[in-house]
Amino acid sequence: MAAEEAGGQTAPVARAVTRVASGPAARALSRRPARLAGRIITIAVILLWSLFPIYWALNTSLTTLSGADTAPAHYFPSPLVSASYRSVLGIGGSGYGISGELGRSLLNSVVESGAAMVVTVVIAIFAAYAFARMQFRFKRTIFVSVLATLLLPAYATLIPLYRIMASLGLVNTYLAVILVYVSGFLPLAIWILYNYFNTIPRELEEAAFVDGASPMRALLRVVIPVAKPGIAAAAIIAFLLGWAQFLFPLILTTDLSTQPVTVIVAALNEQRIVPFTLLMACGVIAAAVPGVLALVLNRYIVQGITAGSIK
Amino acid sequence: MLPYLLLSPLVVFIGALSFVPTADTAVEAFFRVMPLDPPTRFVGLGNFRALFANTSITTSWVNTVVYVAVGVTASVVLGTVIAVALRQRFRLRGVVLALVILPWALPAVVEAVIWDWIYNPTFGVMNSALHSGHLIGGYHVWLGLERWLTIVLIEIVQVWQMTPLSALVILAALQSIPTDLYEAARVDGAGPAASFRRISLPLIRPALAVCAVEALVLSLNIFDQVYILNGIAPLGSSVMLQTYVTTFENLNFGGGYALSLLMTLATAVLSMGALALLYRRAEGV
Repeated sequence: MAAEEAGGQTAPVARAVTRVASGPAARALSRRPARLAGRIITIAVILLWSLFPIYWALNTSLTTLSGADTAPAHYFPSPLVSASYRSVLGIGGSGYGISGELGRSLLNSVVESGAAMVVTVVIAIFAAYAFARMQFRFKRTIFVSVLATLLLPAYATLIPLYRIMASLGLVNTYLAVILVYVSGFLPLAIWILYNYFNTIPRELEEAAFVDGASPMRALLRVVIPVAKPGIAAAAIIAFLLGWAQFLFPLILTTDLSTQPVTVIVAALNEQRIVPFTLLMACGVIAAAVPGVLALVLNRYIVQGITAGSIK
Repeated sequence: MLPYLLLSPLVVFIGALSFVPTADTAVEAFFRVMPLDPPTRFVGLGNFRALFANTSITTSWVNTVVYVAVGVTASVVLGTVIAVALRQRFRLRGVVLALVILPWALPAVVEAVIWDWIYNPTFGVMNSALHSGHLIGGYHVWLGLERWLTIVLIEIVQVWQMTPLSALVILAALQSIPTDLYEAARVDGAGPAASFRRISLPLIRPALAVCAVEALVLSLNIFDQVYILNGIAPLGSSVMLQTYVTTFENLNFGGGYALSLLMTLATAVLSMGALALLYRRAEGV
């Protein structure tokens, strides 16, 4: 009886407690930390996936051969040394003669992707301006055919481009590499700039026309200054694409006078005698230029990629 | 006159270095072209018949189908997961985004060399990590022994590079969806899963189509990662690698042209088909 009495008394309280505990407020309270933890874990996993290989290259490049060639692996460089960088950069230490190759190939990469970037952007600015602002015959046909080459795989042009360059005596010259890069990067650069020009109000140029400016003057004095972010996006993307090229330079360049750093890193890897510490130091150096650019100019890349992909 | 003047450098470049070469490929595929053993002569479908009779090449076709299947699926799914995770604003979101993009910006060759070291049979961190997690009994040789495993591991390297692009494109699409749609769904009692399926997914379909086509073209063309991680062995070889070997190592240019023509057509048909299919569905919703 007493037990029943007690039970009868506690039951509503218990029910109330249960109701509170499962009510919307409590659910939010109990879920918020759980959801927050879930999101932090998700983002940590995404960062781990994105960065671990890069970290691993750094880790290996910053230790000694006996620190890298261990099982189980050392997750932090132990001992921490800069010897690999010093030898591949030729600041002392035996470097398997890498420093000469690495230095020259980095210079080649800078020249080839830098020149390709400049030529691509200049040609693309003029073309995109014509497509965005002018009316003329065959406009749609030319525009669609240029953009269609975005879907043209490397297969379609690989062998003919080699033969064209060979017949012109241009194999193993900067010019061959730059020409091929420009023809490959133009469609994307035009697409990015065309979309950017279309976001600029026409009133800006019309004011210039009223003042008696020619279309070229309006482009140079009014449109280009306003379109700087779009131009930066096209330029940085063209440079990154150039720096990453491998197949075309592999067939178009034959020695160190023109081979870019990607070809040299692949060749060092193929020799199978270069220690992983040095190989990773070379990899980090070859990746540092695009890596730093991507981090610093991130805003333009995001804008260029999303403008170039959607619509 | 001015528009044509502005377009002339573009037309010269694309004409001489894209259209003429493509046309050349389409024609020379039907010729015997051996630079060290002339003359060049018309052979009809001879180059194509030789391709079908060569097991290294037919192997690379099947391999490339697997590269594409893994690459398109994994990069679109992972890209969506990353985009959804980074959709809501939080402190340091800009930094996280910048870091997530990094694999896209680095040269594929360098990335493949790094992953080659990660997969290393004796000192690779993958063996070490799986072994200390008791997921494998002993160290494995990951590449070059088992065909499908080799292909999947090589494609992971390409997926690692392609995914940031997909994530960015899908993220932009997600952010263009008005938030009141989600508000309304929540009022109607829809959970996060239901509102993702009923609101986000239909509205990001065009973005998914773009990502799928980009991944399709990239994985059909996979070369750098295969060259580094598989070498020229037939086991994990891709069609692009076989095109390179046929043309520039065996110096059978006609065979290379024929292979190139087939792949150009396959790329065009598949990417147009994928775009048409996904865009039509998106409009139907």
